[in-house]
Amino acid sequence: MLQSESLDPILLTVITNRLEGITREMGAGMLRSSRSPIFAENRDFVTAIFDRQLRLAAQTAYIPVLMGGSPYAVKAISEHFAGDVHDGDVMILNDPYRGNNHAPDISVVKPIFFDGEVRFWAFTRGHHADIGGGGAGGRNPNAKTIWEEGLRIPPARLYASGNYNRDVWELILLNVRLPVMVEGDLQCQVGACNVSERALIQLLGQYGTEPVDEAIEEILRRSEAQMRERIREIPDGVYNAERQLDHFDQQTSRRPTIRLRVQVKNQSMAFDFTGTDPQIPVFYNSSYPNTVSSCLIGVFSTIAPDIKVNDGSMRPIRVEAPEGSLVNPKEGAPTTQCTVGTCGTIVEATWLALAQAVPERAQAGWARSNAGAGTAFNPRTGRYASFILHFTKGGGGATAGFDGWSHISPVSSMGGSRVPDPELHESTFPHRILRYEYGRDTAGAGKWRGGFGACVWLLFNDDGTALSIQTGSCAEETAPFGLAGGRPARPGTIRMRLARGETIEIHEAGLYYPGKSDIVEFYSAGGGGYGDPHERPVDVVVDDVVAGTLSPEKALEDYGVVIDPETLEVDWQATATAREGRGRAARGQSPFRDAAR
Amino acid sequence: MNSNKPANTFKIGVDVGGTFIDLAVVDERGRSRLYKNLSDPADLAGALVAGLEIVARDAKMTLSELLTRTETIIHGSTVATNALLTKNGAKTALVTTEGFRDVLNMRRGMRLNLYDPKQAPPDPLIPRHLIYVVEERIDCEGAEVRAVNEDGVERLVDRLTTAGIESIAVAFVFSFLNNSHEKTVATKLRESRPNIHISLSSEVLPEVRLYERISTTAVNAYVTPVLARYLESLETRLQQTGFAGQLLIMQSNGGVTGCDVGKQLGVGSILSGPAAGPVAGIRYSSLYGISNVITVDMGGTSFDVSLVKNGEIEVTKEMEIAGYRIALPLVAVHTIGAGGGSIVSVDDRGLLQVGPESAGSFPGPVCYDRGGSRPTITDADLVVGYLDADRFWGGRLHLNTEAAYEALQKQVAQPLHLEPIRAAYGAYQVVNANMVDAIREVSVRRGHDPRQFLLIAAGGAGPIHASAIARELDIPLVLVPRDASVMCAVGQLLSDLRHDFVRSYLTPLDKLDAARARSLCAEMQTKAVGTLRSEGIPREKIVLALSADVRYIGQFNEVEVPLGSDAWTAAGIEQLVGDFHRRHEALNGYRMPSAPIEIVNLRVVGTGIVDKPQIVKSASSGTQLGASPIGHRNAFFGNGFTEVLVYDGFQLPPACSINGPAIVEQSTTTVIVQPGYKLSCDDFGNYLVYREGVSLKESIAVLKRRQPE
Repeated sequence: MLQSESLDPILLTVITNRLEGITREMGAGMLRSSRSPIFAENRDFVTAIFDRQLRLAAQTAYIPVLMGGSPYAVKAISEHFAGDVHDGDVMILNDPYRGNNHAPDISVVKPIFFDGEVRFWAFTRGHHADIGGGGAGGRNPNAKTIWEEGLRIPPARLYASGNYNRDVWELILLNVRLPVMVEGDLQCQVGACNVSERALIQLLGQYGTEPVDEAIEEILRRSEAQMRERIREIPDGVYNAERQLDHFDQQTSRRPTIRLRVQVKNQSMAFDFTGTDPQIPVFYNSSYPNTVSSCLIGVFSTIAPDIKVNDGSMRPIRVEAPEGSLVNPKEGAPTTQCTVGTCGTIVEATWLALAQAVPERAQAGWARSNAGAGTAFNPRTGRYASFILHFTKGGGGATAGFDGWSHISPVSSMGGSRVPDPELHESTFPHRILRYEYGRDTAGAGKWRGGFGACVWLLFNDDGTALSIQTGSCAEETAPFGLAGGRPARPGTIRMRLARGETIEIHEAGLYYPGKSDIVEFYSAGGGGYGDPHERPVDVVVDDVVAGTLSPEKALEDYGVVIDPETLEVDWQATATAREGRGRAARGQSPFRDAAR
Repeated sequence: MNSNKPANTFKIGVDVGGTFIDLAVVDERGRSRLYKNLSDPADLAGALVAGLEIVARDAKMTLSELLTRTETIIHGSTVATNALLTKNGAKTALVTTEGFRDVLNMRRGMRLNLYDPKQAPPDPLIPRHLIYVVEERIDCEGAEVRAVNEDGVERLVDRLTTAGIESIAVAFVFSFLNNSHEKTVATKLRESRPNIHISLSSEVLPEVRLYERISTTAVNAYVTPVLARYLESLETRLQQTGFAGQLLIMQSNGGVTGCDVGKQLGVGSILSGPAAGPVAGIRYSSLYGISNVITVDMGGTSFDVSLVKNGEIEVTKEMEIAGYRIALPLVAVHTIGAGGGSIVSVDDRGLLQVGPESAGSFPGPVCYDRGGSRPTITDADLVVGYLDADRFWGGRLHLNTEAAYEALQKQVAQPLHLEPIRAAYGAYQVVNANMVDAIREVSVRRGHDPRQFLLIAAGGAGPIHASAIARELDIPLVLVPRDASVMCAVGQLLSDLRHDFVRSYLTPLDKLDAARARSLCAEMQTKAVGTLRSEGIPREKIVLALSADVRYIGQFNEVEVPLGSDAWTAAGIEQLVGDFHRRHEALNGYRMPSAPIEIVNLRVVGTGIVDKPQIVKSASSGTQLGASPIGHRNAFFGNGFTEVLVYDGFQLPPACSINGPAIVEQSTTTVIVQPGYKLSCDDFGNYLVYREGVSLKESIAVLKRRQPE
């Protein structure tokens, strides 16, 4: 292990842990004081500290996809205000064409001064309850441009030299539907920056600016070395993969496709999206920072789950995204869905590419978000409110050695977001939850199977709900893929059963207006399987049948296990015969290339 | 103590853990004696009785003589905790609302370790095939939407019998608003299986939030039969030996309860041991009129921190134990893996790390010479000279300094290119930094400034690290209780009986039905009084505290606001509103005076005040001021080795004053006084550590002065 001569290794540990601790302190303040369930219940935010060279030094990512692109926002703000940054300033930004990821995630940044100089930048980013625009629950599936999605905020000051910048606050709050909530959440982001300011000044006072700078320099260097070491374990080469969006383009009669070429060479990785389809007038376009963030999720979740996400560990990774494409749109294209749907599509492509290089580390596909968000008037409470239906979380993909987690998706949160409480939810919104449980036969089969998806039925008590539905993993092409002989999960579905008797199958994101006594049914996909299902131990297959999450029919079809549907007894002889025949046929293929195509 | 008590009566606090059993015995004159003995995880009741035998021998009595004269045994037990941690609970089924079968195991769709694909979720406490659904439904206003399908319940009874179930949790949606469906099912189950344990969510935690309620009820159903069996066998054993007093169980909420409640509400004793720490902390700090306290307890494998503000123990409903969510109010003990046995290593970034892995008591630290090969904090403390190889644990274990040195040299110093002594001292600094971070977790991150708190350091290893921790956090005063290594057993002797009750009542304040609120409170108060009376507490010793969980409409976290006796009058409601805004601002830094407010839950805490032993002045109390050292040794303090004086704690006279660096030793505890700090002994035999250049009086005054509103 290389050592820097002068640096005290103990001080290095103390300062590193302290910086991480400060980002957790920031998050604790936000969880405690938020007025919005999206912060307080779903934990849809991140906190970070950047050094004075604008390098990400420490972070806590409650929702990973919000983190990876954060350096672009801090750089944009610092460049915009270059030469005009003052102690007590607090800046805001939400425009995806000015360094942010997408509009509902608002970035709040504060330069931290010590001895008259900027030493750090405190950063928070969180998903707000509303950002204006023409959709429901903050999402507008009908938007053809970003201007229909909501308010765009360029780099601006919420506080100038410590003074409340009333003009900016009023301009923002006048343009959103839930101003009290948005104001409260912005204030708690400002509060988090203030919390970090106190702690960072104390840290600098205690250890001095130079030792702290040196410690950051060193920890970034070591994180970089660690990441390069991991990349070295991937065989050099070029790995291609492509995935399609859950959107069917009526004009071209095809699904827009993301094409990825990963080159591993000299302990670094280049993600090249050349060949990806052009941007579209629908909200799936991924801003460049969001594309980078999605690639980082792919890398960290495959080879570096234990490595700290910071400037150092990001250095060996480069992302090329052609301008005007789905993954780096030109100014004006709508982007709200990029943090969920498109992020998932990009991460899947990275996993499929890396699965060719390091199959034992790769994981099968996770269910994409197959859900709804909405705004509703509840006559019982006399109030309007917005919701996101996290109840429909789908399954995670399996990996060598482990089944996928159930009810954990989408990949953009990696299990960091929290599902709302059903009772508080029913008390707030004018619908009742009829079902909220695992869906049977949702998991992709494999030696290690995927996690289970959910089945959620909502019964609407009244008219007055605008529901923005997004489909995810709802087609054969977009369902969670299997790996190494594992099977894909069954696609998800969404349907509305109207009180007047009609049933509407929903295949595309759109705005819907369920009325009194209508039912909306969401079936999210499970995760993809890993490895030949016939190698899954029979008793483990039986466990799922006994639990009721696997039907005896699928046990036979996918796993070659013959079970009496009445007694749940295994017919061992018939099972041996079934497994013998199919097991052989399954061998000798190259499943990774198949799945990646 | 009351003077009308017969002579020679005892109260015994006993904390039975997996490694040690700690006993604190106090007689009718308030004189206390403390004991520490090895435990036996395979027979905890036996270990407890063996501990009592040691007490009896020491008092020159037979066990039966001791127990005949013992009026109360207050018991902190890890039985429920271990049943959960080792998955040795009852075979448990869950009965829940049709359509909601997987809420328990969905865990609100979260996992803590975000990026790692190579991880499995915690083993389900109740696997899906033992989760049964019943057709029934109550809506969000408590109205019945769908009646219980009685035929379905009949079929369910048959299936439970076939499955060999020992315990059943029943948890329906919105049962906290209308428990009739849970009651119906319980009645049916009891008819056919009279001896089975049944936990109803409307009784265990009648509070909004489905996953939290189901999970708490499931944990209760899982651990209660095990705890009940243990308590029954213990009661029998004690009674057979002549015990006619009361056996009380330490609860996770910082109070104690009679055995009958313990046999129904096992989940309530899940933090039975550590919850007594802050209770003891309050008592020690009250000697100095200080009411803000942080107690830390550093044992072999873990470091437990809790916080007392204005004399009130911080209680949380956000706890997870071994990955299982428990939403009952529990003393907010924050635990990290930092103890004497925590392993010191170098990670692949080249950073020195301590814990969370522990060598435990077996094989233990390298210096124990019991086969441990990886260096630990105890090894580092030995190498830097803070521990004495010959006097550790009263000389009962000789420590091998050379082996500790060699392990630190090979596994830590060499990879870091450091001198071994620097590596050892580095381990000391890093574990201190981890503990500082844990203290920040309960203080700074919850809005409290640690500089306004007295630090009480307990556990065998705590006082070695306390003054260094105090320096990092700028804490002005550290108190090391004379009985630091058995503080929780002492805390048990000081605990009142306590029962928490909650009723959900979700209503905007402007639509409040005062009569309804009043009757919900009255119902809980009646229940509290009834329970405490059945535990032998006279009415005049019962204190009832009322509170409401309140928030701005749309918020998802509540602020608990205490209520007066006129709670539901116009004046009382006005008071509640004012108190809420004030508390919200104090906690979260802002208020929104015009925003509408709602009530979520109503709470009653019933406390049965018990007589507490006085902390008596130590026998050696006198006028002698000088402290004479028993020896000296080399110890490392940052800049190098210094020869420091070593004192025998038991021989220190009160009001003595020792300048750091210095070492004070007792049989089970060592106090390190860092350079720049001083140590004094008080009249009660406790040690006070504070900054040089500030008098003890001033250090105490600072903490008294800083008591916030």
